[in-house]
Amino acid sequence: MKAALHQPARRRFALSGLALGATVLAARGAQAADAPAAPARASGPIVLHGVSPRLTVHALDTFHGAPATGLRIDFSAFDGEDYALLRSFTVNANGRSDEPLLIGDSYRPGRYQLLLHVDEYFAARKAVLPTPAFLTRLPVRFQVVNAGERIHLPIQFGPWAYTYSRGS
Amino acid sequence: MAGITTHVLDVRTGRPIGGMQVELFDLATTPPTRLHATRTNPDGRTDVPMLAAQAARTGRFELRFHVNAHFKAPDALAEEVPVQFGVFDAAQHYHIPLLCSPWFFSTYRGS
Repeated sequence: MKAALHQPARRRFALSGLALGATVLAARGAQAADAPAAPARASGPIVLHGVSPRLTVHALDTFHGAPATGLRIDFSAFDGEDYALLRSFTVNANGRSDEPLLIGDSYRPGRYQLLLHVDEYFAARKAVLPTPAFLTRLPVRFQVVNAGERIHLPIQFGPWAYTYSRGS
Repeated sequence: MAGITTHVLDVRTGRPIGGMQVELFDLATTPPTRLHATRTNPDGRTDVPMLAAQAARTGRFELRFHVNAHFKAPDALAEEVPVQFGVFDAAQHYHIPLLCSPWFFSTYRGS
């Protein structure tokens, strides 16, 4: 089973304790303590933390130390030639989308893109930045390989830096 | 020194990544114009700048890192990482590193 085979590598990465300073990794380490020691061997979809497979996102503004409430994001899927818009949404008070981006039948393997409109986001917060700013429309490209495993995608960004990773 | 340079590091090992394909595009045109394509050297840098000081100009550019052609992880979070950024002062140096693993990508304006 593909998912089971790949789990150990991710688990090792999670527990390796690399000093990345990312809260993402700290959170993952904390959860790993509660997880079974052996890799999951389920034959059906793997339910992590009590939820079915889905794609979720969490956007944090490291400039203000706050969830990126109000950030506009265009969510697209790669159609073989280009990234075609699925829908646009605005990040809620929690730094998330109100609903999972993909869930159930819509959660399929493929390549996707989140385009973050960080230029208008920081302009609305009266941040003083050069023109053109270093980051304007920020593309986060990623893929879903196994629709049996959920993907949580935390994104941390400021005017001069960003990080994204596979969360949980 | 003006121009655009990069540096690719593997956060799993704490070491530079050599041999990763990196491209630079000018985003002023549709489709974007590829200005340079190369591979990182054993130090994780490129032998010549991605954009030479003499060619430096303002505008929007993309550094595209072909991360999973290097990692070859079957469950990688991304195949490639496009870093799109603006240059507002052509006299300044833009150093844009990528710290990465198959499931983690981080970039910033460095020096």
